[in-house]
Amino acid sequence: MSSSTNTESLHPLEIQVLKALGKQEGLLTDPQLVDHTGLAASQVSMAVGWLLTKDLVSLASEKTTTYVSLTEVGTQFHQQASPLEWIVQSVKSAAQDGTSLTVKNLQTSETFQPTELSRAIGLLKKEEAIQLATGGALEVTGKPSPTSDRLRTLLNRVYEGPQPITDFSPDEQGTLRQYSVKRGNTQEPFRIDDHTERGYRLTPAGHSLIPHLRDGAAEEISQLTPELLKDGSWRNRIFRKYSISLRPPRLAVGRRHPYREFLDSVKHKLTSMGFQEMRGELVETEFWDMDALYMPQFHPARAIHDVYFVKEPSHAKSIAEPFLSQVAQAHRDGGNTGSKGWNYQYDQERAKRLVLRSQGTAVSARTLATNPHVPGKFFSIARCFRYDQVDATHATDFFQVEGIVLGSDINFRTLLGLLKLFATEMAQAKEIRFFPAYFPFTEPSVELHVRHPKLGWMELGGAGLFRSEVTVPLGVSVPVIAWGLGLDRMAMIALGIQDIRDLFTSDLEAVRSMRRQQL
Amino acid sequence: MPTISIFHKDLSTLLGRPTTIPEIEQWMPLVKGEIKDVSQETGEIRVELQDTNRPDLWCVEGIARQLRSVHSGNQSPYPFFSSKGRAKRRIQVLQGMEAVRPFVAACAASGYEMTDLALEQCIQTQEKLADTFGRKRETVSIGLYRLTSIQFPVTYGLVKPQEARFTPLGFEEKMTLQEILTLHPKGIEYAGILADHDRLPLLWDADGQVLSFPPIINSRELGEVQVGDTDLLVEVTGTDLSMVMLALNIFATNLADRGATIEPLDISYPYETIYGTTIKTPLDMGHSHRISLHAVEQALGVSLEAETVGDALASYGYQVKTTRHSLSVKLPPYRHDLMHVMDVAEDVAITRGYDSFTPIMPQSFTVGGLTTQESTSDQIRDLMVGFGFQEMFSNILSSRQEWVDRMRINGTPYERLVEVENVMSLSYSCLRPSILPCLLRVEALSPRSFYPHLLFEVGEIARLDLEANVGSRTLMSVAAINAHPGANFSEIHSYLDLLMYYMAWAYELEPVSHPSFLDGRVGKIRLNGQPAGFIGEFHPEVLEAWQINMPTSGFEFQIL
Repeated sequence: MSSSTNTESLHPLEIQVLKALGKQEGLLTDPQLVDHTGLAASQVSMAVGWLLTKDLVSLASEKTTTYVSLTEVGTQFHQQASPLEWIVQSVKSAAQDGTSLTVKNLQTSETFQPTELSRAIGLLKKEEAIQLATGGALEVTGKPSPTSDRLRTLLNRVYEGPQPITDFSPDEQGTLRQYSVKRGNTQEPFRIDDHTERGYRLTPAGHSLIPHLRDGAAEEISQLTPELLKDGSWRNRIFRKYSISLRPPRLAVGRRHPYREFLDSVKHKLTSMGFQEMRGELVETEFWDMDALYMPQFHPARAIHDVYFVKEPSHAKSIAEPFLSQVAQAHRDGGNTGSKGWNYQYDQERAKRLVLRSQGTAVSARTLATNPHVPGKFFSIARCFRYDQVDATHATDFFQVEGIVLGSDINFRTLLGLLKLFATEMAQAKEIRFFPAYFPFTEPSVELHVRHPKLGWMELGGAGLFRSEVTVPLGVSVPVIAWGLGLDRMAMIALGIQDIRDLFTSDLEAVRSMRRQQL
Repeated sequence: MPTISIFHKDLSTLLGRPTTIPEIEQWMPLVKGEIKDVSQETGEIRVELQDTNRPDLWCVEGIARQLRSVHSGNQSPYPFFSSKGRAKRRIQVLQGMEAVRPFVAACAASGYEMTDLALEQCIQTQEKLADTFGRKRETVSIGLYRLTSIQFPVTYGLVKPQEARFTPLGFEEKMTLQEILTLHPKGIEYAGILADHDRLPLLWDADGQVLSFPPIINSRELGEVQVGDTDLLVEVTGTDLSMVMLALNIFATNLADRGATIEPLDISYPYETIYGTTIKTPLDMGHSHRISLHAVEQALGVSLEAETVGDALASYGYQVKTTRHSLSVKLPPYRHDLMHVMDVAEDVAITRGYDSFTPIMPQSFTVGGLTTQESTSDQIRDLMVGFGFQEMFSNILSSRQEWVDRMRINGTPYERLVEVENVMSLSYSCLRPSILPCLLRVEALSPRSFYPHLLFEVGEIARLDLEANVGSRTLMSVAAINAHPGANFSEIHSYLDLLMYYMAWAYELEPVSHPSFLDGRVGKIRLNGQPAGFIGEFHPEVLEAWQINMPTSGFEFQIL
């Protein structure tokens, strides 16, 4: 470190401390530094702190002294009277007025606490400065109380300012300790505490700087102002150099939510691959949420979709035709879908039952019923709800990334091709594996496992060809891929969170500190 | 998706060969299974089975059977499905059952000495079939009995709840059916299934001994199968005939696979069923289906010889007859999940292995894009971020307390919510009718995060609307708050004004009263003349209700 750069980045406070030390052969203690620089103790301590870290000064001595000082109570005793003095005076003046005082009379006084008075009376009696006459009246004997006198001397002495306890005689030290603030007794006149005095001297590096130190901080400026620029006076000024390694102050800024930003990137990825966004409603009928997806009204497959039912109104007014009849037919006996159906009494009333959308596929089902363009690619990032106990892996409501691909060239191999594309685009994976899977609405069904370059093998999604029992009743005659991506694990790792509920946290500090790692 | 516990040694025995865990893991795709956990000590393997339409795979016997057939290319014969003539034993169903629990199926199994492990697996299968497949015993429930103590014919009929008494499993003394329903843990658990009936189903034998009170509980005397028993009766009752039969078929093949000889029973009904009035069970319900080879080829995207497809299916357990362009296929009797040619196509793909198919990209050109709602939301989000606002992203299912009480809108038209009927927790019982409470929740939880707090969220809300087909509407809403010692109407108004300016939307503020805001410091936002939302300084009572100690203002309006 060259000494010139070093002096330029010094703070004015540091310069003053360095100069004070430079004029001295030996060391200076902090009180001495306060004297020599004329700075406040806190400024000295701040400057010394910086200089120590820069290795320009070093700690040369450390001496701990026990000091006695007056407390607020002590100052009061000094100005007015200690309880000992007050008792003697009160009793005396009562006697002069021809009356007498009992212990009880004294204790009703508001000047001192009753316990404090009891202690003082006890001591005065012991030292025979007062005595108890018949009838409980107190009398002054005329004998002096040594403790009271010693206390007065000490109060006067300490009133001058804090003093090392070693300056006092052993007897006096005893009295000081007896009348000092302790835990449980804060109403005492003295305070005894340790004070560490540190001595500092220049290091060789500090010494070498002394000749280069600027004279005073007068023309130094820290902030360029419009005035300085307007009148050109900045030319005569020196700009203090900053310590640029210090941490900057924090800012409150505008920023996208990190999880939402993650979903934004998914959305943009999908549109760039030619997918059109589709949206649905938060409240769905069982018809579109499940029946249209060929999940029979009775089947255990519905157990995997434990749903939230809507209270009021509980049912939709109607289900659009011809979809209701065609789906009902597919459930009953397959209708014209080439299937034998589920073979049960389909309940059209149940189809109208309202639920909170339990799966994003409901949005796909609705899109199929809108005579969508063929070939077509669609996606949705849909808020879904499951009747689950909320814990680190289950949120009350969450997002599902799902979609469909329609086309006459769609088959099992193009399904695998699409999944392979997702693996590359969404997870930069070169290695992939396909496993047989089960979804009530697809056949064949596939689970996609990918080897993420950083996260290793993981399940990325599930997909399949929509069953004819799904597509035909909704008016679609070409094969359709239905796909879903499970991206939450990737999002959580990217955002550095372990609990799925933290994706939607209401803790502002957590959101402000969350950032997205590139995976 | 059931998860079951199987044992490595047991699986190897049923497969007839030693196996390793990695091998088993590799075979799992054949049964759509996933190994969740392996205990090296006990050899216990926890397997999750995905296919809810293949209850035959929810047991070690079924998994082994599927693997055996793929490995060997053919499957074990189950001659009891084609036994001729009248059965030796019989169950008589009585009139009235058709209204309560119409169907029963049963078989005897003998010659296999029940081991500890086999009994445990039997009980697991019984539970999985009744719980998951049988909808918690409503459509299917299963009972196992000690065959030798039972005198045939057995009767399946209705009795009055006080009329019959027997000692149920788990109890020492005799109880009436009524007592069982109110005192026995299983009675309490499943009483709902029989709630509408004043006479209850019972199975009893020729000596008048009770076998069981289906679907609640077995008798302790006849229905407590023990290790070492060699002769069993398996009985399934339920409300759906094909499900009842399938459950029995699965159970019978399982016991046969372990070495038992299965002997069918005749079930006599006083009413007509799709299989007549006397059914010999187990019964093969399967039919042959003619499958076009072209349909399979088209589905899988490969050209195949009929023979290849036939071999693949045969090794997966089907009975197959092939011609040049079509196949006639029939499922094994323990399966009942063939509805469509695609089901067959998937089994072909599974047998051949998914990894043997070369992926190809769909070639069609399509145009991608966002909905207007989404792209408008994105524009607003960009602007708000530029204004210095932190975006929030909230859960939208919460409580009336948060959406209504704390917002001071009880008794106003704004208090109507889309509520959940089957509430699991009051904290998650209503959809949000607006976003501002979500932002106030953030403010309430974040007094230690340094100020100022400028927060916003754009997202969906749900408003009750009886005009709408589903009784509510999902709307896109924009909300923002400012919270700091100097936060006020004028500041938040500046942001709203700027947002509207950049979005090029004409808006007006109309002085109104709104309980969430201070009077005289609240306005209704009109967007193109239509009421769209509110802006204002939050009422101190609202802030108190949220325990917010910072002045807070905000706005919210709906778009599109």
